[in-house]
Parts: sequence; C-alpha cells; structure tokens
Amino acid sequence: MSHYPFNRRQLFQTVGAGLYSAALTDLFTRDVYATNTKPSPPLTREFDLQPRTPQRRPQAEAVIHLFMNGGPSQMDLFDPKVELDRNHGKEHFENIAGEVEFPEQAGAIMRSPFKFKQHGQSGMWVSDIMPHLSEQVDKISLIRSMYTSNLTHEPAIYKIQSGSEFIGRPTLGAWVTYGLGTENQNLPAYVVLDDPLGLPVNGVDNWQSGFLPPLYQGTRFRATGSPVLNLKPQFEEPTRVTDLERDLISRLDRIHRRERQFRPELDAKIASYELAARMQVAATDALDLSQETAATHKLYGIDQETTSSYGRRCLIARRLIERGVRFVQLYINSQIWDNHSNIGESLKNACERTDKPVAGLLFDLKQRGLLDNTLVAWGGEIGRLPIAQLPADKDPAKAGRDHNKNAIVAWMAGGGVKGGYVHGATDDFGFAAVEDKVYVADWHATLLHLLGLHHEELFYERNGLKERLTGVEPARVVREILA
Amino acid sequence: MISRTSPYRTHTGRYSAVTYCRLLVFTALTAYVFFLYENRGVADTSEPPFFETTIQPIFSKHCTDCHGPEVQEGGLDLSSAKGLLQGSESGPTFRAGNAEQSTLFGLIQRGDMPPAEEEQLSEAEIEAIRIWIESGAPFQDAKLGDSGPTQHDVIPILLLRCVVCHGGRSQEAGLDLRTRESLLRGGKSGPAVVSGDPQKSLLIQRIHKQEMPPRRALVRVSVKPMEATELTVLEQWIAQGLPKSDLQPDIANQVADPLVSNEDRRFWSFQSPVAAPLPEVPLETISTSIDSFILRSLRNVQLHFSPPATRSVLVRRLSFNLTGLPPTPSEVEQFLADPTPDAYEKLVDRLLASPRHGERWATHWLDVAGYADSEGSQNEDRVRPHMWRYRDYVIRALNQDKPYDRFLHEQLAGDELTEYENVETIDDAIYDNLVATGFLRTAPDRTFAAITAFVPDRLEVIADEMQIFGSAILGLTIHCARCHTHKFDPIPQRDYYRLTAIFKDGFDEHDWLKSQGPRTLNFVTTSERTAWQANKEQVEQEAAVVQEKITAEENEEKKKQLETELQAINQRHQPEPRIRALWSRGVPSPTYVLLRGDYKNAGRLVGPGVPSVLTDGKTPFIFAPPWQGAQKTGRRLALAKWLTEPSNPLTARVMANRIWKHHFGRGLVTSLDNFGTTGASPSHPELIDWLAVEFVRRQWSMKSLHRMLVTSTTYRQSSTITEELAATDLEGTLLSRMPLRRMEGEVLRDALLQISNRLQHIPYGPADSITEMEGGLITTEPRQGGWRRSVFALHRRTKMPTILENFDYPQMGPNCLDRRASVVAPQALHLLNNALVSEWADSFAMRVASEVGENPAKQIRRAYQIALGRLPREEEQQIGLSLYDDCKKQWLESGVTDAPQRAFKNVCHALMNSAAFLYID
Repeated sequence: MSHYPFNRRQLFQTVGAGLYSAALTDLFTRDVYATNTKPSPPLTREFDLQPRTPQRRPQAEAVIHLFMNGGPSQMDLFDPKVELDRNHGKEHFENIAGEVEFPEQAGAIMRSPFKFKQHGQSGMWVSDIMPHLSEQVDKISLIRSMYTSNLTHEPAIYKIQSGSEFIGRPTLGAWVTYGLGTENQNLPAYVVLDDPLGLPVNGVDNWQSGFLPPLYQGTRFRATGSPVLNLKPQFEEPTRVTDLERDLISRLDRIHRRERQFRPELDAKIASYELAARMQVAATDALDLSQETAATHKLYGIDQETTSSYGRRCLIARRLIERGVRFVQLYINSQIWDNHSNIGESLKNACERTDKPVAGLLFDLKQRGLLDNTLVAWGGEIGRLPIAQLPADKDPAKAGRDHNKNAIVAWMAGGGVKGGYVHGATDDFGFAAVEDKVYVADWHATLLHLLGLHHEELFYERNGLKERLTGVEPARVVREILA
Repeated sequence: MISRTSPYRTHTGRYSAVTYCRLLVFTALTAYVFFLYENRGVADTSEPPFFETTIQPIFSKHCTDCHGPEVQEGGLDLSSAKGLLQGSESGPTFRAGNAEQSTLFGLIQRGDMPPAEEEQLSEAEIEAIRIWIESGAPFQDAKLGDSGPTQHDVIPILLLRCVVCHGGRSQEAGLDLRTRESLLRGGKSGPAVVSGDPQKSLLIQRIHKQEMPPRRALVRVSVKPMEATELTVLEQWIAQGLPKSDLQPDIANQVADPLVSNEDRRFWSFQSPVAAPLPEVPLETISTSIDSFILRSLRNVQLHFSPPATRSVLVRRLSFNLTGLPPTPSEVEQFLADPTPDAYEKLVDRLLASPRHGERWATHWLDVAGYADSEGSQNEDRVRPHMWRYRDYVIRALNQDKPYDRFLHEQLAGDELTEYENVETIDDAIYDNLVATGFLRTAPDRTFAAITAFVPDRLEVIADEMQIFGSAILGLTIHCARCHTHKFDPIPQRDYYRLTAIFKDGFDEHDWLKSQGPRTLNFVTTSERTAWQANKEQVEQEAAVVQEKITAEENEEKKKQLETELQAINQRHQPEPRIRALWSRGVPSPTYVLLRGDYKNAGRLVGPGVPSVLTDGKTPFIFAPPWQGAQKTGRRLALAKWLTEPSNPLTARVMANRIWKHHFGRGLVTSLDNFGTTGASPSHPELIDWLAVEFVRRQWSMKSLHRMLVTSTTYRQSSTITEELAATDLEGTLLSRMPLRRMEGEVLRDALLQISNRLQHIPYGPADSITEMEGGLITTEPRQGGWRRSVFALHRRTKMPTILENFDYPQMGPNCLDRRASVVAPQALHLLNNALVSEWADSFAMRVASEVGENPAKQIRRAYQIALGRLPREEEQQIGLSLYDDCKKQWLESGVTDAPQRAFKNVCHALMNSAAFLYID
C-alpha cells in the first residue's frame, strides 16, 4: 500500500471538505505559495478546503464583507466638502465631461442634502443618516481615497470582486478560501448571504471561483427556509425511508469500491454523501436564530421591519464566523446605493436599511471578542459625482448623483486594522482621490495581507501564467491603516 | 511612463527586461525631445561625453550579443545610436537628463542586465552611462536627436479620438482623418491642418475649444476626449511641417528574423511532426498501430497491457464515450449475443453513425470554442438569440465527419470561402460557411452598449478571441504576448499584433460592430428565408382580414372575440432568421503594437503574419482577396490554409491530442492548451507525432481517428489497478489500464433522462429556455413531456441549469480546454434531494414496471440492465430486495396506497445515486 496516495484517515479528512480531481498528491502549499519562478508542468492536482497556515502571522482569520453595491456617495456619507456648499448651483460639467455617463442629464454642482458631525474620540465626520455607525467610528479605518478603473457597475463590480473588469476570474472569497481553506468542514468555506428580494448586479458571478476549482466558489445561504439548494428532500417521504435508501447507496458504493483498489475518487464519492448529511444538520443549526436572545435580535434591528432582513443576515454572518467559516459576504438586492435620483430620500433609505444592523454587528463582534480576529470590510464598487444628475423635468429637488470611478469611500474594521482612523483625501469637490490614493488592487493586497497572505505569492497556474488576484500591475498594502 | 515598476524585471525568462519598439513620442518622450533641444547649446560648450565615443563601446562589449542587429531580444538593438533611439518593446530606453527615470539605466544599475551569468558592467561603466544620460544624452550626429513625430505617431491618436465620425464608415463634414493626405485634403470647412502652423489648423482649433470630440456625444460614440499629451504630439507634428515617415508595416520578409532564432524553432512542438517507424512489438498482442507505441513503453518498465475489459464494460464505456449516453438494454444484448469476430467493430460503427455522436462531441468542441448563448459581462447577461445556429453547425459537422481542415477553414474564414452576397440561392454549404464563423463570436462581450464599447472594452473582446484561437487551435498561450514578449515561449509581442492584424478586417477596434444586431447577417438558406417570408405574408394577410372585420364590427363582444383572434394570428409571427457571424469588412485599420498592452501607447506598425517560430521566419504571409471583386482581404483564409498545411507543427498535434484525451482520460500532452515550453512534455513523444501525421494522412477525418483509437488494445483494456500497476504506473501515464471516469454534468443529466424514458430526441433549433425556481434552482423547460439533451439547453452564462453547474460545468472565461471533476457535497445533495431527480426516479420505476411487471426481483434485474448495462450480482440483488422490503413496510405504515411502487422507486433512486452508475470503468 505504500504507493497509495494517502492513508485512509488522511483521505477522509481531505474528503470531508470535498476532494478535487483525485489522482496524485502534490505539495499543495508549495504550489500556492512558491515564489515567482518558471511554472512547473501542469500536474493533475488535488484541491481541498483543509485549513492552511498562511505565510505570515495573520491579523484576521475570517472576513465579513459587507458589499454595498451601487456606489455609496462619498460626499454624502463620510467625506464632507465645503466647496460643494460654496459652489452649489455652479456649472462644472465641462471640467469632467469624459467622466460622466449621462451627459444629457448632467446638472450643476450639488451640495449634500445631509448634515455632517464629528463622532467618537477620533472625531470622524459622518453624516446624519448613519446615526448608529456614528457610535462605532472608533472601531473603523475609513479610506476616502479609493478609486477604480471603470465607472459602469458591471465592470466595476467585477473589478472589486475579482481584480479584473471581466467575467471569469476568481473572486476575493474564492482566492481567500483557496489560500486558507476553512476551519469547519461541515459548512461551506465561503458563504454568501444574498438578499431574498433579489440578486445584486452581476448575479451569481459575484461569488464565482472563475478558473479556480469550483470548490472555492461561494455557497449561497438563504436567510429563510432551506439555506442551501437541495439541502432537504424536495419531496414527501418518511424519514425512515430516506435513511434506508441512503444506507443502500452507501452499501452499494462500498461493494463497488471493494472491487476497485487505488481509486480515491470512489472514497471521495462516499465521503461526499456523508458530508451532505452532516451539512444538513450544521447549516440548519447555524441559521437557527431562535437560539439568540431578544436583546441580540434588537441589537441587529431584527425586531423592526426596515432593518429585519439585513439584520438577520448580519447576525447569521456572526454565527457563521463563530463556527469557523472563513469568508462571509453580504448582499443587498439590486442597487440601493445607486442614487441617480432623489438622493435626499433614496440614500437615506439605503442607510435606514443597513445602518443599525452594521453597527450592531460591529458592537456584537467586539463584545464577544470576535472583532480581534475578524475583518469587517464595508464598501461598494464606485463612488459618485459632485454634480447633480437631473431627471427629465430638470427638477433639482429630485436630483441624484451619477457614477464616478475616481473616488470611492470604504472602511475596514477589526483584525489588524486601526480604529478611528481616516486615510487619504479627495480633491475640494470630492471628485477624485488625490492624497494617498488606494487603487482596488491595493485594497485587495491589504485585505490579503491582514489574513497573512501576500498578494504576489498567492497564485494559480493557468495557461502558462501565474494568475493572481491583483494581476500584473504592482499593488501596495495600505500600511497606514494597519494597527 | 518609463519608470513605472516593470512587470518584467523579476522574471528570469529569456525575453525578459528590455523590449522593442520604435521611438514613440508621448509624455516623457516629448519632454525628452524638448530637453534635447534645450541642451544642445550646453553640449556644444561643455564637451560632454558623446554616445558614439563613450557609450557605444560599453554596449558593444556587454550587450550586443543579445541586443544586436541579428539577435534583438526584446526588440532592442544596442549596436548603433539609431537602434538605441528606436527603443525596445517597452518603448523608449532612456530619458535624456534623467537617469533615474531611464528604463535602460535602471535595469543596469539594479544588476538585472546583463543577466547574472554574464560579465557585469564595472562601476565606472555604469557611472559613464549615468553621466551621459544626465548631461542630456548627446550624440555626435546631432541630427539623431531631431526625430520628431511622424504620421505614425499621429494616426493612432486620430484613430482613437476622431475616426468614428471622420473615417471610413462616416465622414461627417466630409472629413476623413485616417491619413496624412486626407487631413490635408480636409472637409467642407477646408483642410484640417495647415502645415507648420498648429494654431491656424482647424483640427487644433476645434480640439482646443473642446468642440471636438463633442462633449455631449462622447458616450454615444464611445470616445473619450483627447488628452493633453496627445494634443501636444499633434501640434508638434503640424508645427514641424507634417513630417512623413516611409516606414512600412513590419512583416516577415527574406531577412532572417532577429527576434526568433532557429535555435528557438528547435523545440519539439515547433517542428513539423514526422512519423517515426512503428516500434517492433509482437503483433499478436496489438490491434492497431498506436498499441505498438503504448506497448513499447509498458515493456520498458516490465509491464504489459491489462487484460481486456468484459464485453458489458466495453459497451458501456464505448457508448458513453462516443454518444454520451448509456447503451440501451437491446444494444447491450445485441452486442453480447453477436458471435462474429468483428462484433466490436460493428458496434463502433453503429455508434459513430448515430446522430447522438455529434451531439456528444459537439460539447467538447463548444468548450474549447467558449460557446455561450449570452453576452456575459453585463448584469442582464443578454441572450444571443442566434448563437444556436453555430452549435447546430458543430453537431452537423461532426456527424457528417467534416474533415478537420475544412472545419477550421469554415470557422476561421467561412465568409471568405464563397460568395454569398451576390448569389441567387443560399444553399446549405454557403449557409454553413457563414454560421461557422460564429466560432469567432463567442467571447464574453459587453460592447452592445455604448458606455461599455470604448476601445479598451473592444480590445478585451479581441484578446479573448485571440486566447480562444491560440489555446483551441494552436495549443499556444499566445495571449501572454499581448502586453510584452512571451516570458517563456519564443513569441515576440510583435507576433501577437501580427496575428491581430490578420483578424483586423473582422475585429477592428476602430471600426467596431457592436454585439447583437449589427453582428448578424440574414443569409440563411433560401428555403428557410422563403418559408419565413411566406409565413410572414400569410400572417399579415390573415391579420389584415380580421383587422378589417374588427373595424366593421359594431357589437362590442364580437369585436373582443375578433381582437383575441387577431392576437392569436399575430403570435404566429416568427423572428427574422439571422446568423451571428464574423465577416471581412474590407478596409482594416492599420495595426500598431500596443506598448505594454496599453491602448493609448501605440508603437511599431505591423502587418499581418503568423507566429515566426512556427515558420522559417523568412516567408512572407501571402494573402489576396478570395475572388475577383471581393471586398475582403483574404487574410483569415490565408491563415486557415497555413494552419492546415500538413507541415504545420501544431494544428494536427493539438487536435489529435484532444481527441486522444477524450478517449483515454488524459492527453499524451496533458496541457491541452499549451504545447509551448512550459507545457507538459508528451508522455509518448513518438506517438503524438505519429498520430498527427496519421490524422492528416486520413484526410483529417475525426471519425476515422476515433475508430482507430477505440478499436485499439489499449482502449479495450480493463480499468482495474492491480498492486503491480499501482507500484509502477499509479497515475496511468503509461496507459497500463483504462481510467475510471465520472460522468460530466451533461452526460449525467442525459443519462438520467434516458434511463427514465424522459429524453426527447428533438435535434437542433433554438435553445430550450430555462426556468428559475424559488431559491435560485435552475432547470430547463420540458418539451413534449420530456427534456431534450443538455447540449440544447440555453447556455446562458449566469443561469446554467443547476445540475450542470453542480457537476462542474465550466465558466467560459473565455473558453475551457479541460474540465475538472470535483467531488463535493452539493452534488450528493442534488441527486439525493432534488425534486426533478426524484421525478425521474419515479419515471424510471414506472418504466421498469411497464417492461417486466410488478415482481420486485425481476424489477431490480431490469433496473440494473437499464442503468448499468449489466445484471446485479447476487449480493447487490439481495440488498436491493431487502431495501425494497423495508421501504415497502415503512410506506405501508405511513398509510399510502401504492407502497410497492414507492418502495421500488427508492431502489431506482438509490441506483441513480450509486457510484456504479456515476462512474464509467
């Protein structure tokens, strides 16, 4: 048996997470982390979700990504601009023409309809539509100077999720689970909590594994009902019958395997059926919010209609992180932050749905000691313009703001990140990041860094290339925000 | 622009670091030119070191072996001032006055050049270079500094910012800005430029006033405003009197290629395949020639072929392999009962002749072509309503055994094969030619909307198509040379752009057909068009009659009835049949190498050509309009013909290897997409070459190749791994046995449908739409109480049927060369718990009952025959029966009236979940 690729115990550990293309063992860690040398000839490799120790000591061991797709308006939330107040109503279009998606709707400079105040010990500026987060600002590092490469949602979302404007590349969560595996083999490594009201822009592409094995793609958990597709039988049958049938499958498979030595894929098949049964229990348990106190429900706003849905997802996120899930990503339906019109109302509504749950999550993570090794990342894919976007009747009262790729606001909190810190700055109008600019790739590199991974050394060989999340362009870890 | 951290610097590849390209006049360089002017006076008085006397000797000593006139790695020639000034692949090599920002100096200073194993420059030499650059980089031949911009620095800018409205397709105000001559000719308002006077030039005035390009129209035509540095170049060119360069496009010519050497061409896969003599092995042990190669390798390690598989294993293996479906019980019976010596060969012929064969093998080709029925990229993932015709074309071609060379000609240049615009009748052949070019229209594409159809968006589509072409047909990672010379293979960046020049008449980023409507042609067969037309007229006629009645009718109720009737008639309208195609548009823009792949950074002008390493480097790429009066360049046709010359090093090898892979589970070269230097070495080098030659000798017949491979002794081996094989050939590299394979998603779904009698064989036509159930589960729409094969399901990128997704349907990004087989819990959950799978199990159980009645022992035997092509073993039969009894008891207790049927369904459902069903020996 010395040539057998693994011993049985190892095999079942591996298989617990799902075995990938079993054929030949390889020093997986070497392949993932090797430095930049000539690619080795491709071998049939196996991939699994066993937890792996990163190259450097990680500051954070799990990530909760609060993806605010649509483009939260920087100058209405976190980046007050007196020049907008001073120049309100002045023409500005010609100066930024190449950066406006809908020139025919472009209006004049528009001041923020919201009031800003300083909060916390740090005195961070936050507008009055985020009253709950305002109380948590000393936990976050705010980045005012992010920017991206495309002003349209779809490419910009692909960019922030996968490092490229195009479909087909692995997303952040896929890279992280590829690099780190996961702690709990009975739950998916990368869980997506999307909004029951609908998918975000780019749909399921947001959590694709691209050219990485499908093992690393995000698994959608629905917040209500059966959390995973096909988790429970979709037909009526006495439990005893189901058990009997599963037992038959298992016995038939063991007979089949008995006659086929040296076929780890058959062991993997049997193990995957056992995992399926365990997952049914583990996933159901993780999603059972009745185990939480009324006070906790209240903290996340689950007791109120406006915040109930997002609050549930935030609380589930905490429960998943507690159980060792590596990467949890939260979505909101369609584009609530895409405030092309009536920004005074629409942006306020977006905040009302999310502010309390997000603040509750930060508070709860902290009080349970989870924030020290959990990284919470908040942000969207683009920012917005300093000029008004006018509706057909040109009524300024109904104005919104159009897309902007030159300035994005985002924040991180928790594992390894400073609290109450503001990084970078935009110009006087909030149109473009000018100081300490942070490109999307820098943001990716920073996130990986906090997890103990180096963006240039985490790669996957394909088509003769060492593919990386940050691509070939240089990326920089935003060291200033590190604790 | 020069000092940006080089992505190349850390690599050790032979084409690293410095690169080629003609002098380019953008930001930094503009500054550099001005600097030269300013410093000329200084140079005269203070006698600084001249290049010719001080620097050239250093370069000649250390650099010119690799960067000289004969060998120009990275496109750099340091043997003369002219060569230095021409720059490298990354652009200018130095910036006068600023050593720190000079690429060349940086590389030398950091010790990256010369390469570590070569003699290094002394500190004094490095210092001399630094001083020379810092003092303004003076040349003795002062003229050299004067090289200002020419029309080739200006044309790329005008292409980018202006020609969409002032070019070949549209000449607003009568103005064409594509050439120096047309600029001088001007438009309705007079000449666009006044030589020597930028301020008087209309072109410059309009741009300065920001009237051009018009701000409010920018998005509509997908153009960005001209950048200040670009305007500077324009002004400078005009100020200097519109200097004209007589530079010709860089193409292969009689001179030996300085970028690719004959040494490079010596790599095994870059040489034409030659068939080695067959190895001598005992003839009685083999069935076909390929066996002799396999057997020789086995004997080298004291192995022999595994014993042959049993007949029932063989028929199942072969049926799945050639048709993607399990054998029917009668097919199995017929084969097992056939006593003739050529029973197996007859089975092979039957399966190859089955229409199911093309449906199965089309999936393999559609994977490499990156087939999808939708655009991808944008959120709505817009459906491509005409793409299915290409899928049908592939199925038809494979069923007809269309020779692979012809198959490629049609897909790469179908529009250049025969006239289609001025013919009376469009027959099947002409139609197929056009539909086949759908191969070049598969990449994810967001350019159907103006906001996502800017030049960089278009270049991404082109890059994806080049990647598909390179990986699918050439087996080369040619896309790696888009931004810089290939790091490991001898593919200069120049060759990537020469290749894009071949496709330029179809993929022109400056003359772009947006995806969807503009990409379609209406040249469907005359019979299809006539039928559509007739239906249209018929419907219109009937509608008119009813409309008249409605107008005349006064009774409201009757009017309503008539309106319903009218609606029903109008629903019979069919969408106009159109073909998603690629066709030559006749007048391609010039092709410039894009430095570092940056669309705003045009370098050397190149012409069409194929990768130099696959030729002798001296043969020009010859092409001509395919017929008299054709408004086509014939470039792609010439490419297709070059690809299918028997001497082409890669085409036959790559395809033969792919076919091999699908039969034997692994390629002779395991990196199906990469036959380059970083690809896997062939496990049987002589066999891959013999196979390639044989493929061509058999007139590129794929069915003939299939027949040879599946009738081999190698293919007929058992898949059992003994202790001995595990010790010597655990991976199966030597083909000492056949592999064990899990069904692919499509095969699994089709097989489940077939055994349940729910598979509808309705071939071809528009794709079956999909339904999204609550929770996001996606299934395909049933047809006539059943479902069609998976190949006919709508392949919408973001909404693939869940069962296919769960079983590793790959994302087409942009294509898939090799599918993986994962084993994960969601697969188990799907087969165990999914409602449709359960419904199919019910159908399976009912089918069995209708065939053999209600006796459970008989039923189990029959179920095994249908699902596994064999009878259950005694043990299997026993535990099956005992489960049946236990389940029946439980069902009875639950109070249902059909407990026996339900219990047997449990047996069937378990069988559908079993490894014996899911894996093929």
